[in-house]
Amino acid sequence: MSKIDLNNISHTYNPNDPEPTYALNPFSMTWENGKRYAILGPSGCGKTTMLNIVSGLVRPSAGSILFDDKDVTDLKTEDRNIAQVFQFPVIYNTMTVFENLAFPLLCRDFEKDKINERVNSVAETLNLQSFLKSPARKLTADQKQLISLGRGLVREDVAAVLMDEPLTVIDPDLKFRLRRKLKEINEEFKTTLVYVTHDQNEAMTFADNIIVMSEGEVVQAGTPKELFERPNTTFVGYFIGSPAMNLFETEASSNDCVKINGTIIKTNTNLSKLKDKKIKLGIRSEFIDIAEDQKDNLLSVEVEKVEDLGNYKLLTAKMGNLKIKSKINRETVVPTSDVKLHIPAEKCCVYENNKLI
Amino acid sequence: MGKLYKFLKYFFITFWAVFVVAPFLWALTTSFKDFNSVNGGATYIPWVDFEPKLEGWRVLIKSPANGGVDIIEPYFNSLFVTCTASLISIVLGTLSAYALSRFTFKAGFVKNNDITFFFISQRIMPPIVLSIPFFLFLGAINLLDSLIGLIIVYIVLLMPIAVWIMVDFFNKVPREIDETALIDGCNPYQAFFKVVLPNSIPGLIVAGMFCIIFGWIDFFFAFILTFTEVQLLPVKIVALNSSITPWWSLSASALVSVAPLIIVAFIVERYLSKGNLSGAIK
Repeated sequence: MSKIDLNNISHTYNPNDPEPTYALNPFSMTWENGKRYAILGPSGCGKTTMLNIVSGLVRPSAGSILFDDKDVTDLKTEDRNIAQVFQFPVIYNTMTVFENLAFPLLCRDFEKDKINERVNSVAETLNLQSFLKSPARKLTADQKQLISLGRGLVREDVAAVLMDEPLTVIDPDLKFRLRRKLKEINEEFKTTLVYVTHDQNEAMTFADNIIVMSEGEVVQAGTPKELFERPNTTFVGYFIGSPAMNLFETEASSNDCVKINGTIIKTNTNLSKLKDKKIKLGIRSEFIDIAEDQKDNLLSVEVEKVEDLGNYKLLTAKMGNLKIKSKINRETVVPTSDVKLHIPAEKCCVYENNKLI
Repeated sequence: MGKLYKFLKYFFITFWAVFVVAPFLWALTTSFKDFNSVNGGATYIPWVDFEPKLEGWRVLIKSPANGGVDIIEPYFNSLFVTCTASLISIVLGTLSAYALSRFTFKAGFVKNNDITFFFISQRIMPPIVLSIPFFLFLGAINLLDSLIGLIIVYIVLLMPIAVWIMVDFFNKVPREIDETALIDGCNPYQAFFKVVLPNSIPGLIVAGMFCIIFGWIDFFFAFILTFTEVQLLPVKIVALNSSITPWWSLSASALVSVAPLIIVAFIVERYLSKGNLSGAIK
């Protein structure tokens, strides 16, 4: 278990081109010992490259990596003492489940007793005890992925366990249990876990800290609450949350107000320097509610449709050519035609050039 | 419909079995015939149509002084040359194939695919093209008419087959297997020997089988590059022929020469079945 520092890391797969395209733009970051991190972003945004750089499978084009303040940039993968679990199960077909789980320990010359103890402990955690003597190739895809996961967790002294969308092939119920199990392992053994995913729910429920990436860029890193309530960019607002954040093209009408289709909406942001500039107002559908006793910050909208999604209703309304989505209580009675929606000033995010002000 | 399908299925299976087995049965019965039984019209069943004789088989082990051809030494020569050349080809071919599959080579316009094609191209040109260079080469190093010389030539001929099969096989083995082994603490050599190679056994067996077949059946180079000191089985069998074709001893030698290949086929049969080969790595 180590603190991992990534200093000015960047990477390109075509360094000899006169104008190389970067899979990963320069960024710096510290992963604290014993915490859970999720790297979240759409496919092809550089998540796996980042993970491979940390594990040493890819050498970064620039920058350095430190494990507990020791530079490991030029250290080979096998000498880094890191574990990595890939998206699809990777097992050693010719070995039994026990041999698969014991392999990382055997490679590092652990004592036989210690190997038995660790393999049994991991097998118990992952419910693999009854398969220990079976040939690994005969197991189902999700059991095989458990073996991959087990090989990642079997070493106690590992610097970090890197997981690249490890639960893709696992069915939803087991996925939920495994995520919880991983959290328990992290809490008990203080193993640093880094979890790559494109599923925001997975990231939100798993991690202490989420790193959101887009097109090779780290766009925001923070707690799930920070990402949800104060997205740094419109991309994060759009990517995190379901439905995506409501974003309205607007302009500043005073020091702290914007005008949406002629209606003045107050925000808590100082907009004095942004008068007459194109800006965007962002607000989560969770924070918009049907106005009952509020008097300010109201938008008069026309109800387009109301969908009952089980534990909440999703109201879609329009105001001129603007579409607004609001998550409301199941019990709330929604008028069928016109309705007033309340936009709380403290929850408004204002963006200039898609960046939060 | 179901019954008709079943009938047709068994009919064709039986037909195919007869088609495959009949030549072997014919050779087997012929090997126990003598001149009269072969030339006096078609005979089929031993002891009924003709009296079985061991003359065809005796010729194979009798020394030339006693009117035989003695194929025992050529037989073991062939076994030794084929097995040694196949083994070396598989070892070298597998290492080359792994390198071609996993690492990027670039020398000017030559890249990995061109190198792989270079290996395969050795099998594209007609053998006759290679005969003079081989003859001169072996002559220059004093290995004409020797087992070692033949082994060298066969390695040149068999290694492309091994490379060709194994490159394709390694390309289908996910790189994540190697990467996982590195992460688990192996160095690249250990990753290859402990993880990738055991996972590639079906590919190795197929490549080995092809090498053995192509090595065992070669007549052309064995005929051109050996004279009196060393003889291989195919050349010796041809030497059996005379003005009166000895069908009985030719049949016996055909059966003896095909026997190792049948044994190899039986051993590797389970690896050749679709399931074992395609399910090697998922």
